[in-house]
Parts: sequence; C-alpha cells; structure tokens
Amino acid sequence: MGVKSMLAGLLLGLALLSLAPPATAQAGDMAVVVSPANPATNISLGDLRKFFAGAKTSWPSGLPIKLITRAPGCMERLVLLKLLAMSEREYKQYWTAQVFRGDADAEPLTVPSVGMQKEALKVFPGAISLVNIADVKPGMKVIKVDGHLPGEPGYPVH
Amino acid sequence: MSRGRTSTRIQYAIFPLLLVSASSGAQNASPSSSDHPQEIIIQLVEQIKQLQQQDHDLQERIKNLEARQPQTSPVTQADPASPSIPPQDAEQTAPPPAPPAAPHDWHAERGIQWRGFGELNYKVLNQRKPELGTYGFVPGSAGNFYTGDFGLFLTSRLTAKASVLSEIVFQEGDAQSYSLRLRRMLLKYDYSDHLKMSFGRYQTNIGYYNWAFRSAAWLQTTADRPLVMEYARNGGLLPTQAIGVSVTGAVPSGKLGLNYVAEYGSSDTIRPDINGDGGLNDYNNGNQVNVGFFLRPEAAHGLQIGASFYHDKISNFDKGPSIREGESIVNGYIVYTAHGIEFLNEGFLIRDAALDLRDDVFNTPAFYSQFSKQLGRMRPFLRYQYVNASPNNLIYDDVGLRQGPSFGARYDLNSYIAFTAQLDHTVRRGEPDLNGLQLQLAFTF
Repeated sequence: MGVKSMLAGLLLGLALLSLAPPATAQAGDMAVVVSPANPATNISLGDLRKFFAGAKTSWPSGLPIKLITRAPGCMERLVLLKLLAMSEREYKQYWTAQVFRGDADAEPLTVPSVGMQKEALKVFPGAISLVNIADVKPGMKVIKVDGHLPGEPGYPVH
Repeated sequence: MSRGRTSTRIQYAIFPLLLVSASSGAQNASPSSSDHPQEIIIQLVEQIKQLQQQDHDLQERIKNLEARQPQTSPVTQADPASPSIPPQDAEQTAPPPAPPAAPHDWHAERGIQWRGFGELNYKVLNQRKPELGTYGFVPGSAGNFYTGDFGLFLTSRLTAKASVLSEIVFQEGDAQSYSLRLRRMLLKYDYSDHLKMSFGRYQTNIGYYNWAFRSAAWLQTTADRPLVMEYARNGGLLPTQAIGVSVTGAVPSGKLGLNYVAEYGSSDTIRPDINGDGGLNDYNNGNQVNVGFFLRPEAAHGLQIGASFYHDKISNFDKGPSIREGESIVNGYIVYTAHGIEFLNEGFLIRDAALDLRDDVFNTPAFYSQFSKQLGRMRPFLRYQYVNASPNNLIYDDVGLRQGPSFGARYDLNSYIAFTAQLDHTVRRGEPDLNGLQLQLAFTF
C-alpha cells in the first residue's frame, strides 16, 4: 500500500510538472540580439526604441537595420510593445502609418520561432531582435543595453 | 530545434499517460496482486518500457516524415492584410501532401506593394442652408451617404536606398461622380538617417497632422480633418501639396532627438469657398519654401514638439496679373502619443496681404486641440478647433470665425476596420450655429 501511494504520488508530481509551461514563456530579461557579423556591442535604450519604432534605419556602421519581431502573444512581442508604450492594435496602426507616410518600406519581419529568429540573423547582417534570455542560441550575438548585459542589475529590457 | 521541442512535448505527454495507466492499473489490480507490491513494480516497469518503445517508434516516424517533407518557407513576412500565422506544433501538423514549395527568398522585397484605404460616411446637419459639399456630401441635404476618398497606395523599392511611392485617390464629387487625383508621387532617396530626399508631388510638412495622417481616414481618430488641416481643394486654409523636393533627416543631437524638414516646390492652390457661394480662390502660388524642425526627446517617449515656417507669393489680380503678395504661415505643435493617449495641439498664424487694391495685411490665427484615449477597442475623443479670419480678407472671407467642439468615439472592429461616430458643434460669426453628426466606416486593406 505504501509503495503504491509513493508511486502514485511520484507519477502525480511528474504529471503536474509536465503541465508546467516551458521555460520560454517565463518572464525575464529579454536579450537584444544581432548578427555575429554586426560590430555593435552596445546600444542605448533610446536608440533601441528608435530602432524598433523605425525612427532609425541604419546602424552607426552604416548597415541597414532589419527588424525581426515575434508573433503577437509571445513574451518577446509583449516586451517590445512595453518598450514602445503601445498596445498590439496601436502597434499595427503605427506601422501602417509608417509605411503610408513613406517613412518605412514595410512592417518589421515577423517570425514564429526562435530558430527562425536565428536564421534571420544569419541572413540579414543588420538584423536586430529581442529574444528571451533562456532561448539565446549560438549564432545570436547578445549586445549590451545602456552598458548592461541581460541578467545584470540595471538591465532595462524585460 | 524543432525536433528537440517535439521530443520534449512527447516526454510531457508520457507523464499524464503514466499517471492514467498507473491509476487504471491500480483500479484493475486484483486483491491478490495488491498484496505483492513487487509485482506492481514489475508491471509498471514493463509499461514504462513499452512507452519508451512507443516514444522511440514515434521519433523514427517523425524523422521519416521530416526527411520526406520538402523545404518550406522558414519565415513569414509581416503583412497587415493577413493575420500573422501562429507557430504550429509538429505534433499537430498533418503530413504534407504538399506540392514542392519554392524556398523562401529572404531578400524578395522587389515588386510593387499595394495598400488601400476606403471609407463610407453618413453626415447630417441641422442647418439646411448649403455649405461646401466635400467628399461627396450633398450640401443642403438633411443627411446623406458618401464615400469620400478611396485611396490606392503603392510603393516599390528600386535599390537599397531608392524607392518610389505613389498615392492615387478616387474622390467622390457632385452627383456621385469620381475624380482621379495623384495625391503623392515621389521618387525617394534615403542616403542616411540624416539625409532623406523626395522628389515629385508631396504633401507639405506644414504642421503635424498633414505628416502623421496623410489622407487616410482609417489612420485618423476623428471622422474628419480639422478645418485648418483640410485639403485646400476641400476648403482647407493651407497649401497642402506641392511639386518639388522635400528633404528631411535627423540632426545629431543626442537625447534631444532633433530632426529637420526643408521643402522647395511649386504650389498652385485653388480653394473653393466653404460657405456654399460657389466661389473659387485661385492663389496662383509661386514657388514655396517650407522649413521646420521637430524634437522627439528620449526622456519623454511619445512627445513630439515641432515648428515650421512656410513662405510663398500669391498673385493679386486686382492690382495686375504680375503683382505678387507675400504669404507666410507659421506653425507650432506639441503632440503626445503613447500609452494609449493621443494629445495633439497645433497652432497656426497665416499672414497674407489682401488681394485687392489696398495694402492691408491680415493675420489669420487657427488652432486645434485633440485628446483621445484607447480603452480596449474603443477610443473616445474630444477636439476643439478655432479659425478666425477677417471678413475683409478676400482669401478667407468665406471662413470668418469658426470654432467649436467635436466629440465622439472610434471603435476598432478589428485591425482593418474602424467605425467612428462624431458630433460637431460649430459657432460661426454672422451665421447660426451648426450642429452635425458624422458616422464613418473606414478600412484598410
């Protein structure tokens, strides 16, 4: 009887663990990643905002900026909206207006997974994206924001 | 990556199965077997082995399926005309009967990109004395439907730095006739963030509204433009368009976020009287120059402060066909758009000479202030506008003094369609107050 209860408890515990959301959905610092070919090592929070608002279109090195975003509902997307102080609706309207004004060619590229973010960084040397720190992969270059790396005190993107 | 996630999901799926099988095993166990825990453990170990074998088989099947699957597009380009495609679990993806798809070309950004804006309006006024009918509204009617502007916007990238932009508008006129207008046609060359040049027909950057909303009703919060920012062709007070060159860019200014605008072009504004007398004001403008700046300080995200100065010359036909009088327009604005708040404040001073034999100079002040807040899908708004033109100013004698509030709400049915209801109250000098209701369905595609 005792062994049965123990096993049942163990299985119940494992089953509950399996229901827990994967680590990628947990809130945390959001890394700013660029292509390894990009010489940038640091960006100010203000510039990061300008980049993702389309107000700046090239890196100091002259590389054209390519914005890579995650699909609506992802943690990365929520952090991006928080950064821009916009709702999802306002974000879509904002980019429609940007294109209509002639200030941008197209809306940022939206990818549905971290793997595709990594692939996009490989293809576009000027690409920039937000990735949950737990999901950073080899081939993604994490740059500092206001001199801080993700996980350090004072890191502003989360 | 996707295989790793699949494997993880299969493992997640095994645990509930184990739980179910253990509980069912417990229920099915005979009284005699419950006396022998060793046997139960052996049974469970057997079940685990079976599940591991099943997991292994599934992995093999996935490998085989992936080997057969053609390489497909790894990335979707964000397209406002179609909702983003959510990622699909490998377990949910049906085996593709797929015709071989061409690999995604990450650099496929050539070709012409189209976008459209349209609107359907209903307006009713409490005064039946006709004013100017614009966008298809029949002046003097109790109320009627009209379609306003139907705009087709297209862009095409030529090189990494050069592109073409065009805006073609079908505008409803009298008796449901439609006129075709090339509202913008620009060859753009973006040398850097500090120097962006546009050549062709542009919308003058006098003020914020003209820059921010261009001509699309869907982009606006309100159902109509403030009178001072209305297109001159629809009775507005400003020369809203010109043909020439427009240059803009960022000035290195650190956290101040300073930008400049400089334009030089030719205008030829013809403005109809808005009091319904059928008169036309032909400015016969010469070349115009417009210079301005705006700040977007980093410390206050969403804040934009700007100013501009415009100057051209208008023909004074009363003095002679070659006599030109100066016209200057000074603009200043403070705008805040962030956290769901839209707070627009713009002021103008239009200074021009009387177009008659006298040498009078008239100043026409105008402003509007608009506040709105996003509340879910709803955006209630309040706007107050004011224009005060001298009755002796032959250019704006039809305008006179007009002021009053507008309030209403915009409701976004989805990301592409918005419904707006707006009530207007306009106080007019020498005329009875004008009350109006506007209903608008605006969309983009």
